[in-house]
Amino acid sequence: MAMVATSARDTGKSRAARNWRPDRSTVISMLSVAVFFILWQLAPEMGWVNGRFTSQPTQVLVAAIDVILNDDFFYHARISLAEFSLGFALALVVSIPLGVLLGTSRTARHLIDPPLMALYVAPTLVLLPILVVSLGIGMASKVAIVFLNALFPIVVNTIAGMSEADPKLIRAARSFGASKLDVFVRILLPGSLPSILTGIRLAVGRGVMGVVVGELFVSQAGIGYQLNTYGSAMRIDRLLVYALVVSVFGYLLTVSVRALENRVSTWRPE
Amino acid sequence: MAEIEIRNLGIDYRKPNSDEVFAAVDDISLSIAAGEFVSIVGSSGCGKSTLLLSVAGLVKIARGTITIGGRPVSGPGPDRAVVFQDASLLPWRTVLGNVRFGLEMQRWTGGDLTERAMSMIKLVGLARFADYHPHQLSGGMRQRVNIARALAVDPQVLLMDEPFGALDAQTREIMGGELLRIWEGDKKTALFVTHDIDEAIFLSDKVVVMGRNPGHIKEVIAIDLPRPRTQEILDTPQFTEYRRRLRAHLAADMAGMHFMEEAA
Repeated sequence: MAMVATSARDTGKSRAARNWRPDRSTVISMLSVAVFFILWQLAPEMGWVNGRFTSQPTQVLVAAIDVILNDDFFYHARISLAEFSLGFALALVVSIPLGVLLGTSRTARHLIDPPLMALYVAPTLVLLPILVVSLGIGMASKVAIVFLNALFPIVVNTIAGMSEADPKLIRAARSFGASKLDVFVRILLPGSLPSILTGIRLAVGRGVMGVVVGELFVSQAGIGYQLNTYGSAMRIDRLLVYALVVSVFGYLLTVSVRALENRVSTWRPE
Repeated sequence: MAEIEIRNLGIDYRKPNSDEVFAAVDDISLSIAAGEFVSIVGSSGCGKSTLLLSVAGLVKIARGTITIGGRPVSGPGPDRAVVFQDASLLPWRTVLGNVRFGLEMQRWTGGDLTERAMSMIKLVGLARFADYHPHQLSGGMRQRVNIARALAVDPQVLLMDEPFGALDAQTREIMGGELLRIWEGDKKTALFVTHDIDEAIFLSDKVVVMGRNPGHIKEVIAIDLPRPRTQEILDTPQFTEYRRRLRAHLAADMAGMHFMEEAA
């Protein structure tokens, strides 16, 4: 699977990053970030771009302090976080058992695979208008969209992990008298844990996107609501502060899941 | 008294994606005494692994019976342990964890699991590698773990399915010697599948020659060589004579195979 292949590559990279010693690639990356900030700061001053649209790093920094102190920031962040957490938790609770069922039962897979794949390939965001109509403009519709967005990557990767289980290992376990439950707990589950975590990591990004787009579409509060407000008001500096909060949140969560993934994948041959 | 008694055994296989059924082995009868080391040789496709796995209880019996110590085989049991051709080790477990695995599955109650597993790891000469993961080991070392895992559950019958098939010639020879050394220790009843004639003679009290289409026993040759055996035995006239006889049998089988391919 393409997703699994990506995670394998990622593993190598972050392993290199763990022994802390700024190598060539790190230095180049940091340099590029520094150059970006300098250019961003200079461009409006030199008249290369219109500062009204691009803002400046210093302005964004000032806006950040302002937002945190005087903008009900924590109120909006808490709402978005609640929507995300609820939707994501629901996705975890549903997707892993569903993936286990589909990965271990051929009949179930034949039955549910086509509609599942259709939903996975189609952007779940197209369902947003329906969700708003049926669940209202409050938190419920955002929880639902996070749930739907996060569900499929986990289901698909859990199926992959389950069905990739080595039949030779299952046979060896059976030769020692392993029960079906033993095979599941001792072989299928540990064997597919890295895949499941890969699915969870991919789901984080999609879940964050879900909550923000949901709030942008229609809402009364939340980070996406604030993004919309400051976008319409042309307050690019404040808009960027909220955008930054979203990306830092998604990034940190992804990195933590990846760290967990690497921990459980040490046995995987490179 | 015979430890393993196979009577008129027949096993059917269904071709993948079709209803066509063919016999993998048919009408096999064989007695193996307690403490006997028996090898099964034959060209690929003669059903020798199928026969072994049926004794393990991992393959469905279509006709006939297998009894071990008088009790019919209907599935895997703690009286038997299998050493697979592919080491089949859990990649996320260490050597120690893998040797413990069989004990855990059998709900071993004969003392401390880790202690038991460690003594088996020492027996196969891997004491220094107990904390290693399978991917850090060589093919020969992985097979040692495979053997230790089977021995750990203290089976009455040790079933080995071409355990050295994927190893290079030197490693293979060393592993054969090691296996014999371990086996001499407590003389478990052993069934050993191989396609290597020398290996079969060197290890066994009895070599079973199998033929194809469907798999059947062509001959059972008793190997009357003194024990304990060392590699020097390979150059004795008796050994050479056994080798000649077995080769002749297998060559006849191969010739028949070519004939059938040409006819098809």
